Amino acid sequence: MSTTNIGPKGPAGQVGEAVVDYVEDRTGAKTGLTWFLKRNIPAETSWFQTLGFAAMAVFGLQAVTGIFLAMYYKPDPSRAYQSIEHITNDVTWGWLVRGMHKWGASAMIVLVFLHMARVFIFGSYKYPRELTWVTGAMLLIMTMFMGLTGYLLVWDEKAYWATVVAMNITASAPILGPYVADILRAGSEFNGDTLSRFYSIHMLAIPGGIATFIGLHLFLVAKLGISEPPHSHRLARVRREEEAARRAAARDRQPHGRRQVTPETSPQTISAEGGS
Amino acid sequence: MNKAQQEAYLREYSQAKKEGKSFFPYAIYKDHIVAILAFGWIIGMAIWHKVEIGKPVYAATTDFVPRPEWYFFFLFELLKIFKGQNALMPVIMATFIVPNVLMVLLLLTPFIDRGPERRISRRPIALATAVVVFASLAWLTHKGATSEAPTGEGPAIQNLTPEAEAGYVLFQDNACLSCHKLGGSGGVLGPDLSNEGSKAHGVQWHIDHLKNPQAVSPGSAMPAYAGFTDEEYQNLGTFLDGLGTKWKAG
Repeated sequence: MSTTNIGPKGPAGQVGEAVVDYVEDRTGAKTGLTWFLKRNIPAETSWFQTLGFAAMAVFGLQAVTGIFLAMYYKPDPSRAYQSIEHITNDVTWGWLVRGMHKWGASAMIVLVFLHMARVFIFGSYKYPRELTWVTGAMLLIMTMFMGLTGYLLVWDEKAYWATVVAMNITASAPILGPYVADILRAGSEFNGDTLSRFYSIHMLAIPGGIATFIGLHLFLVAKLGISEPPHSHRLARVRREEEAARRAAARDRQPHGRRQVTPETSPQTISAEGGS
Repeated sequence: MNKAQQEAYLREYSQAKKEGKSFFPYAIYKDHIVAILAFGWIIGMAIWHKVEIGKPVYAATTDFVPRPEWYFFFLFELLKIFKGQNALMPVIMATFIVPNVLMVLLLLTPFIDRGPERRISRRPIALATAVVVFASLAWLTHKGATSEAPTGEGPAIQNLTPEAEAGYVLFQDNACLSCHKLGGSGGVLGPDLSNEGSKAHGVQWHIDHLKNPQAVSPGSAMPAYAGFTDEEYQNLGTFLDGLGTKWKAG
């Protein structure tokens, strides 16, 4: 992107350029990245418009800490509790990684809700970004399900009984409720397979869904552009100018605007029209 | 928004982009500052509020309190509101209707509000909706966070037979009070048991219900208590079947 030519490139620079050209030729990666990163956005973006990125970053943190927890966690009712104790008390920095995963979950929920509030207040879900909102709403729902399925994995009393009650509530819903509960519980009652099923949903099914929808969401954000804050100085100026133009046009429409003012027109009409 | 308004918006937005600046680095640096602050908060909380681990599931006593994570408190409190045993406010409102209606409304928001105005100061209905939704979420979450888990000994009960006395001990040891009320104290997730005996279910019904609540009371949220001995079931069933009739919680 730099246009300054400072002479022939050294061997390393030549190799680097050749690699970039090779990849670009076969994937278009450079074009894609340039499209994504060097796109123009409105000048006056607000600090509130950083919350979506922060939520995504925390999702990444959850993925990383989750990978480390999965290295030690045993999704088996007879060993799950002990493996959590092991992570908390024995594994080097295990307490920290577990704590970050737990607090990260809370942070992600808060950030997702705040991000939604920002989009709502800014009216950013309106044309042409309706479907960006829908993908975001799906992400919010999936984030809540992450919380629900992750809570059980600790397999302590509180988590266990809260999830039993939550599953019983699910089963009490009409029509599909009992089937959904049976699917989640791996049977009509809480059993040994329930834990590994929640584990699988928590670390494979929903993260896959979240990653997919983040991809869609990001693509739409990049394609449609981040919305301009509705109270930006630029928009205020545009509105002022439009208003001035409208008034000027209204003045022009008056019969005496450009024409010679004839003696019959009373001065009251001018002041009444012009002063409105 | 009609066609002309949509085109006007796109025109205006492309002008804003033309007068704007590059996403990289001018927006992404702000994003990273906020993300790093979030990471710092998470690491700080992980260090200074170490995550505890509760008791294991299969301990001898199950004095549990079924409480979800804080971000589900609003649903949990909603359940308590609709637990009034009132035909106008059935439990299904809290467990099914309200959450699903909210979810559908959330997904359909952009198709409901299609007006061209984006300034919140000129969207009174949207502003009112946002305030009501967030205030209710905050209030219900706060309520859930501050509501004391109903524990304690439970009320004194007169005229208990030895069998029922043993049943009452089991009732207290298994934290039944965290969901059920007895003589004014206890939780509200399950039905008030103060006059359970007046329903005249019979002892065997209570035993079946304890073993598998959903089998005799479809749609119940109560967990199964499958770990008692036959004698303990008999004691607890006898105790429950006489509540409010043979013996009263005082």
